[in-house]
This record gives sequence, C-alpha cells and structure tokens, in this order.
Amino acid sequence: MAHAIWSGAINFGLVTIPVKLFTAIRSSDLSFNMLHEKDEGRIKYERVCSVDGKEVPWDEIVKGYEFEKGQYVTLRDEDFDRVSPEITQTCNILEFVDLAHINPMFFDKPYYLEPTKTGRHAYALFREALASSNRVAIARVVMRSKEYIAAVKPIGEALVLQMMHWADEIVETSTLDLPTEEQLPQPEMKMAKMLIDTMTVEAFEPAKFKNVYREELMKIIDARIAGKELPMPAKKAVSREKVVNLMDVLAASLEEKKKEAGAAAPAAKTSTRRRKSSAA
Amino acid sequence: MAKEVREIVEVAHRKLSVSNRDKVLWPADGYTKGDLIDYYRGVARYLVPHLRDRPLTLERFPNGIDGESFFEKQVPRGAPEWVNTVRVPSHAEHRSHIEYIVCNDEPTLVYCANLAAIVLHAWTSRVQSLDNPDFALFDLDPWEGCTLKTLATVALRLRDALSEIGMSPLVKTSGATGMHVVVPLDPVYDYEPIKQFAEIVSRHVALLLPEQTTLQRMTAARSPKTVYLDYVQVGKGKTIVPPFVVRARPKAPVSMTLAWEEVEEFAASRTQNPTTAFSRWTIKNALRRIEKDGDLWAGRHWRPARLEPALKRARTLWGN
Repeated sequence: MAHAIWSGAINFGLVTIPVKLFTAIRSSDLSFNMLHEKDEGRIKYERVCSVDGKEVPWDEIVKGYEFEKGQYVTLRDEDFDRVSPEITQTCNILEFVDLAHINPMFFDKPYYLEPTKTGRHAYALFREALASSNRVAIARVVMRSKEYIAAVKPIGEALVLQMMHWADEIVETSTLDLPTEEQLPQPEMKMAKMLIDTMTVEAFEPAKFKNVYREELMKIIDARIAGKELPMPAKKAVSREKVVNLMDVLAASLEEKKKEAGAAAPAAKTSTRRRKSSAA
Repeated sequence: MAKEVREIVEVAHRKLSVSNRDKVLWPADGYTKGDLIDYYRGVARYLVPHLRDRPLTLERFPNGIDGESFFEKQVPRGAPEWVNTVRVPSHAEHRSHIEYIVCNDEPTLVYCANLAAIVLHAWTSRVQSLDNPDFALFDLDPWEGCTLKTLATVALRLRDALSEIGMSPLVKTSGATGMHVVVPLDPVYDYEPIKQFAEIVSRHVALLLPEQTTLQRMTAARSPKTVYLDYVQVGKGKTIVPPFVVRARPKAPVSMTLAWEEVEEFAASRTQNPTTAFSRWTIKNALRRIEKDGDLWAGRHWRPARLEPALKRARTLWGN
C-alpha cells in the first residue's frame, strides 16, 4: 500500500480509533515542465525582490498581508503558532447527520482511513454502526497544524474522511442572474420531463465516461517518444448524415421562431445614449 | 518618465486632447501613435459604417505591440461626454452591466486611437437588436504550414457553397493570418440558428475538401497544412475585427476587404505564406487602395439574405 499521509486518531466519546490516512484520488492530469525551446533547459523560478532586483534567500523571506494597496503588515512564525490549533493530529467527532441532509457542494477531497493494528475492532464497529444508521459523522480535523471540517462516512469496507468547505467558502447564488419567475407552460414541462425519462439510466457508471483529451494527448506524447510521425487525427466522421441532421435542427428552430413572431410583440429595443457629463 | 506631450485637436467640431503622438507603437517599423491616429482619421468614413451601433471592445497597447496589452469593454472613466455608449447586462461577478463604447463618428475613433487601442473588436449585432446579428461569420484560420493557395481554395469553395444556396458572401483578410467570410443577413435571427447555419455550411465544405480543412476545435488534433473552419465565432458578446481595423503585428497590417477575383488570384499564386500576402496592406498604404477600390463590403455588395430560403435550397442540393 502507498505511503500514509497522516496518522492520528478518531475521537468519539471515550473511544479512540487510531488510523492512518491515504489518498483516495489519483490525479489524471498530465504534468508538463516548461523548457527553453532551443536547448530544452528547464525554466527555473527565482525569487527576486522587486525593490533591489536581487535574488532573495529563503531565510530573508517573511509573509506580508496586504491590508491596503501597497501597504503590508508582516507576520512571523510565532504569530502563526499563536493561532494554530494544538499540534496533535486528531479527528474529533462533533455530531452525526443523515447523508442526504448535506448539500454535496460542501464536499471537497476524500481520503481513505485505515485502522492501525490496535484499532481494527473499533474501526469495524464504528463503520457498521454508521452504515446501519445511514448517517455520517461530522468531525473537526487537525492536520499539519491546520484545522478542517470533514465528514467520516462508510463506503464499502472503508471509512472515508471527506474534507468539507467552510460555510463562508461557498459563493452565494444571489451573485448570479437566475430566472426565478419564468412562465413554464405545462406542455413544455411535459416535453422536458419526457426527454429526461428517455435519457435516464439505471445506475451511474463512471467507467463509461472517458477522458478523451488525455488519451489523445498521450498518443501524441508516445509517438514523439518513439520518434514516429504524429498520428493523423482520426478524420472526424464529418458525415453527410450529420449535415442533414443539423438541417432538421435548424428547420425546427426557424419554424419555432415563426410561431413566436406570430404570438409575441417585438422585443424592446436598446439604443445608445450620450454619456452624462462627468466630473473628469 | 518622459514628459507627456498633449495637444488639443478639433475633429468634426469636437475638441479632444491627443497625447504623445510620438510614442512608438511598432518598434521594428518606427510607426507611432500619431501614425495610428492619422490612419484612423483617414479611413474613418469607410470604417465608421462598420462600427456604427455595435458595442465595441478596445484592445489597447499602451507600450506598443511588443508590450503588454489588454482588452477593455467598459468605457474608460473620464471619456468625453459626447462618446456614445450602450449598457449591456453582464454576468461578470463584480458588475451588473457593462457600458460599451459605440463608435458612430470620427471623433470617437480618434479618442480610441489616442488610447493606443490599435485593434477594435465589434459585436456582430447592433444596438437596435443586440440578439440578432446582421451577418454570419466564417473564420478561416490557416493551420501550421497551410499555404496561401490552400487557404484561398477553401475560401472559394465556401463562396461557391454559399452562392449556390442564394447568399452573397463577402471576404476580407483578417489582417493577421487568416480570412473572414461573412454572409449579410436580415437582423431577425437569434445567435443559435445562425450558428447552426454556419455549422451546416462548414461541414458541407469540409466534406468536399477533406484534405484541406479541419473542423477540429482542439488545436492538438488538427492536421497540419489545413484550414480550420471556425463557425463558432457567433454568439452574444463575441466579436469580429471589422474591415480596415489595424492589427498589432509587425508592419502594422490592416484587415482588407477583397474582391473574390483577388482570392482566385491567391489560389493560383506562388506566395507560400498567407501572412506575407496579407501584410501588404498597412496603415501606410491601405487608404490609397480603399479610396481606389472602395469598400467591397458596402453598398451594392452588402445584400442581406434570409435563412429560410437558403436552408430550403441546401436541403435540396446537399441533402444526400
């Protein structure tokens, strides 16, 4: 098994379950380095001071908080220590809640929890109790001296620790311009629901969705490594059929428009305006 | 910092302040902001009709074409009060609407040029009906190694396709590497049907010229030496560089309206690189050509069509 990224304990009442934490998501992004095209030298970053133009060694670098444009207060390590939660790596269960009651927007990265030898029994008990009550645990987690809120939930044989966003990290929808008082005629709704029904599947099968972009890019990379000519992109089946289908789509939307024009009054017109005299 | 030189000029009865005419915007060619302003003043009577009533985005190059540039939609603070604007609702996080410049006269054009707005990007619709563009756009983008001949061949095939369904396509250089083909339309259609129409025509042409064209939006998957037929440049808020607008490239080329006969000549030409061919019209000589040949996108050339009859013909001709 891979290397644990954290080891600590779940505290739940008087019970302590010693656990290790493992990554549950592997990144499928390809990563690239930036190179100088002519000699393939790696591009390196230098930390350069914008005042004297010289490179700055790490021990001369402090953190500054910009409280007004160009105005900073600097913070030292002891300032951060002062507010840091206790160093012990803990996962304190605060409460339990039905999974369905948590807005999925709050969920962030998941991790697997694995019991240490002494924790196996308590781990199994906790997992089964959660599963049979259909609840998840909400926990306050301290990891690398930072504090998080997370959910502990049973998924198959494993307990998963899923990090959660703080309430103030979720952007309110009130910042968006959303339709709220739209008239939705019954027949339109019926059509839309019918379409949804016909496209509904038994179960979500993530494996059937492929990351095509990554696969195509990997083909190019493999060909370059092998020194081969690049594979010609598979000529997209720009078939006659597609053109004909599109013509049907366009015919339908023109027809739609004709009906609308018959029914509705013309849309309000916008016009330009002279600017009001400004102070400038 | 160099001292700012300001002068007041009078353009069509408007007084406006012009600063730093000597500022070099094209370092390799030595052209200055004064050259840019003079070109835009000279070409105003041809260019303004293409900008008229369209929300405008400025692409500004305060430190010349090699310096940093930025796009500006919102009319700058302190713009003269006679500059026309239009408010358009915006979905951006920090503002509920954007107040775009609408350039309907020469003074406004000079005002923009004075901001080192080398490139002007205009909407495909006008304020009278912002949801209804008055042309469909095909952006022909030559991909790596594509010759002038290939580019022109694709443009001509596109012209033939559009003509045979009863439309009057017009063509110009983008001023940079490619060509723009437009079909004037009555401004009665929404963006979506126009996009669908452009896709139909593009796919038809791609079927006829499979070796010379690509519809592949993903650049990594495009074949070299082909022309990318981009039909998705139509949409609310999407823009085109109108005819006679200057590009921020070496030699200061401008987007030039072409006669189809010229495209036929390109198809037979030995010039390899489209960019070389298209950079022969610059802010220094374009006006002479425009005055001689006129605006090939205006007057009798601009014949708005409707989609219904075109689609009907397309169904008969390209259906199978």
